[in-house]
Amino acid sequence: MSMFRSKKLDIGSFLNIKVIRDHTKRKVFAQYEPERQALRYIIQNTTLPAKTRAEAQLQLTQMHCYTRPTQIRGRCLLGGKGRGIFRDFRLSRYNFRMQALEGNLPGVQKASW
Amino acid sequence: MTRSRILQPLRQSIARPLAQPSRNAFSGSVVARRSMASVDDSAPSEAAKPEEIPPPAALLLQPEFNHLTGKTDEGAVRLPRAVQSLYLQPLRREQTYGVPTCDLQLRSYSVPNLEFFCDFALRAAYYLNLPAFGPVPLPKITERWTVPKSHFIFKKSQENWERITRRRLIQIRDGHPETVQIWLAFLQKHAYYGIGMKANVWEYSKLDVAGQLDGNAKSMQEIVEAKMMQHLGRDKTAGTVQKVQELLESERFRHQ
Repeated sequence: MSMFRSKKLDIGSFLNIKVIRDHTKRKVFAQYEPERQALRYIIQNTTLPAKTRAEAQLQLTQMHCYTRPTQIRGRCLLGGKGRGIFRDFRLSRYNFRMQALEGNLPGVQKASW
Repeated sequence: MTRSRILQPLRQSIARPLAQPSRNAFSGSVVARRSMASVDDSAPSEAAKPEEIPPPAALLLQPEFNHLTGKTDEGAVRLPRAVQSLYLQPLRREQTYGVPTCDLQLRSYSVPNLEFFCDFALRAAYYLNLPAFGPVPLPKITERWTVPKSHFIFKKSQENWERITRRRLIQIRDGHPETVQIWLAFLQKHAYYGIGMKANVWEYSKLDVAGQLDGNAKSMQEIVEAKMMQHLGRDKTAGTVQKVQELLESERFRHQ
């Protein structure tokens, strides 16, 4: 959502709208994490009155979807792809291969066994 | 210094006996001999002075052979002992009690760098009077990735990649905790490229540890909290407690 998006560009990786969107989601999640955790705590705390807990449940479901951690997806730093990303390198399989062939990834070499 | 002097003393050219009982011939100690036992000041210093043993044959005066002229340089002045010792296995201190105080794990993708830095660490330990053991080669960590060479439909032609992390373990026994810290700091200061280091340090103290900790608690509070904020408690989101309070006091929760 554009309301969360920063006015100035604040990432330096490969750029397309999906990358910017994912970056925004990460920032929003980080910002709202205490609130989510607080609501989750209230919901799970059985010593609190049932009404309070129900209210907390409502509030949690009404929070923006950008504040959910499940919205965050690993994206390729060099190509912005969303699938086939190696977590160790944060690159898609194609870009990983290109970088490995160039020798830009320390310690990575062709394997044969 | 002649050319041959520089080129000749290769590591391989001089015998490097793997297990030599005692090579305490050099007493170039920087730090006074302390061990775990000397943490307790009342304990008598057990540290025996290194015995005077004649240096091994490799370190004795060797007339230089000049490969260019084919003659032996009789009037040559030998290299300093400390320099000569660089071409030999690192010297080691003898352990007294064999109580492990520090485990240093070194990791790297390249063996030569790792071997070199292990050597360096052992020499540093020697000059700090720390009995060092190792380097013990730990199991390699092999990570493998298989990627299609080309587009999705050409799944048949793939490529394998791997990254092997080599590990070495250096153990310090009977080290004084401060000396061990100095050693670790020295290694960190002269950290070599492409090498990761991880140290487990054990300290032993007197029986009344709890009392001592209580005494130090006040003065240590700030330091501990700063460290906790940095390194620990990351599984909890900071500010959650305040947020819970805030929420429970908010309009929506109160009007029920």
